[in-house]
Amino acid sequence: MPVVELSLVLLLLMFAILASGVWIALALATVGFVAIVTTMSTPAGQVMATSMWAAANSWDLTALPMFIWMGEILYRTKLSDDMFKGLAPWVQNLPGRLLHVNVVGCAIFAAVSGSSAATCATIGRIALPELLKRGYDERMAIGTLAGSGTLGLLIPPSIILIIYATVTEQSIARLFIAGVFPGILLAVLFMGFIGGWALLNKDRMPPPEPPVPFLERVKASRSLLPVILLILGVIGSIYGGLASATEAAVVGVFLSLALSWWSGALTWESLRDSVLAATRTSCMISFILAGAAFLTAAMGFTGIPVALAEWIGGFHLAPSGLLAALTVFYIMLGCFLDGISMVVLTTSIIIPLVQKSGFDLIWFGIYIVLVVEMAQITPPVGFNLYVLQGITGRNIFTVGAYTMPLFLLMCIAVALVVAFPELVLWLPSTMLNAH
Amino acid sequence: MRRALDMLYQAVLVLAACCLVAIALLVGAQLAGRILDGTLALLHLQRTGFIILSLNEICGYLLAGASFLALAGTLKAGAHIRVTMLLTSVGEGVRHYLETWAFGFAAVVSGYMAWHITHFAWVTFMFHDVSSGVLRIPLWIPQMPMAIGALVLTVALLDELVIVVIRGRPSFRAAEDSISLAKE
Repeated sequence: MPVVELSLVLLLLMFAILASGVWIALALATVGFVAIVTTMSTPAGQVMATSMWAAANSWDLTALPMFIWMGEILYRTKLSDDMFKGLAPWVQNLPGRLLHVNVVGCAIFAAVSGSSAATCATIGRIALPELLKRGYDERMAIGTLAGSGTLGLLIPPSIILIIYATVTEQSIARLFIAGVFPGILLAVLFMGFIGGWALLNKDRMPPPEPPVPFLERVKASRSLLPVILLILGVIGSIYGGLASATEAAVVGVFLSLALSWWSGALTWESLRDSVLAATRTSCMISFILAGAAFLTAAMGFTGIPVALAEWIGGFHLAPSGLLAALTVFYIMLGCFLDGISMVVLTTSIIIPLVQKSGFDLIWFGIYIVLVVEMAQITPPVGFNLYVLQGITGRNIFTVGAYTMPLFLLMCIAVALVVAFPELVLWLPSTMLNAH
Repeated sequence: MRRALDMLYQAVLVLAACCLVAIALLVGAQLAGRILDGTLALLHLQRTGFIILSLNEICGYLLAGASFLALAGTLKAGAHIRVTMLLTSVGEGVRHYLETWAFGFAAVVSGYMAWHITHFAWVTFMFHDVSSGVLRIPLWIPQMPMAIGALVLTVALLDELVIVVIRGRPSFRAAEDSISLAKE
């Protein structure tokens, strides 16, 4: 079968199987199987077993369950309560006041958790009721929370960056460090927006609270200090080349356990639940990676990725044109697929194309995460929107509309990252073990 | 029967969790050794030279075991992801047929996978393949848990298929429809 027809058939088959409710990992494996039996005499089952084994047994990937476990342990502490009490006195004097707790709180939690939905839920559970009780504008409170939650994907550790690193064989450590500046950039953009909005809409802001003396503020945020040290320890040891991503994650696990024990949240039940939850989540992701590895191997046999890269290359698109097309494609894909599946599914096909166009794969990883973040807050499929729908009881499209300004800010962030690739690439180039 | 199956899923899930804990302990021990040696070197004392041989390989094998052994438990907890947009937008009657198809089809694919991974592990065993590191670990040892995990997943999918046909809905419907934090 000619390559073009074959790729169309496989694409249709993939969407049909996915839509019918078959689990993503198994759907990917099925498409890989069909791709092999229609083009090759190679035994498909043998390719399946070897590629799944190669994908599942990976030292680099062990960072994934460890970071997930660390997040699960901290999720079961009182971290989110402390976050509001500790941050509120510090941001009170900024225009926009306590709305900034959403952004800063999410940024801090993002640095201990690799998941955007978990970040959104943890901060939202405490911050949202407090903000609404104090009379803050509901649109702003909900919108900034959904937007800031996406920082979980960008600020290290990030589950989706580990996945990208594994499927493209890039360094997890370098990708993590590359995500730091774009994450801070996004947080600054969000805070600037909150400040600007508050200055323009003074009538919609609640009256300020009495000022808190400096020592009182320090006292209120005392419990946040260990978490900040934990974050600096984990990211710093990766940056300094002292530890690999897995080692840093294991240190993170032990320090989180210590923190949880010290704050009195560590019980046998919470420990057991955190391990089992981490086991399930990491199993779900590894299974998708195993299915995707088989699909990628099968795709290599069909020659589709190379043909696609040549076909698109024939248009002589400028790199910016290609990126614009990919951005639209990803946001559309994000309307019905989750971020992890989007990354594994497309990388097996798109990476040859991206490499041919001369993009740095570390840079492209950050770009893809930014775009996935945008897809995360667009209905009908956007997990941050689901989470906030759960907390607020508002319809997902209403939450999506509240989040629209932050979506536009993310478009600006993507444009900045495209215009100034150094934003992504400078920090990793200064790492101690940079090659 | 029900009790035995649930105990089977729970047992392999706990085994998987033990693999992850083992990774944390092994890497933690090696790190502690490195830090101790670094401190000893600073004090101009004799290093212990503590090293876990083939640590990276062993951790990779433990991860493969953890990932596959947990498959059935993860399915039963409703944590494996799939596109539920169509499932939730059709009526209960159509959903019944779709669910039956999804579980039946998934059981076939999973069975195929389990068979080939088992075969792969068997070939490795017959040819005495060993790992390439310092410790010559026979590769069938880490491949066997993979095969077992895939097999138990097939059993769990068949089990759910029967439940769907009889009761019209999978046992983990509520868990699957609620928001799971890990899903991005």
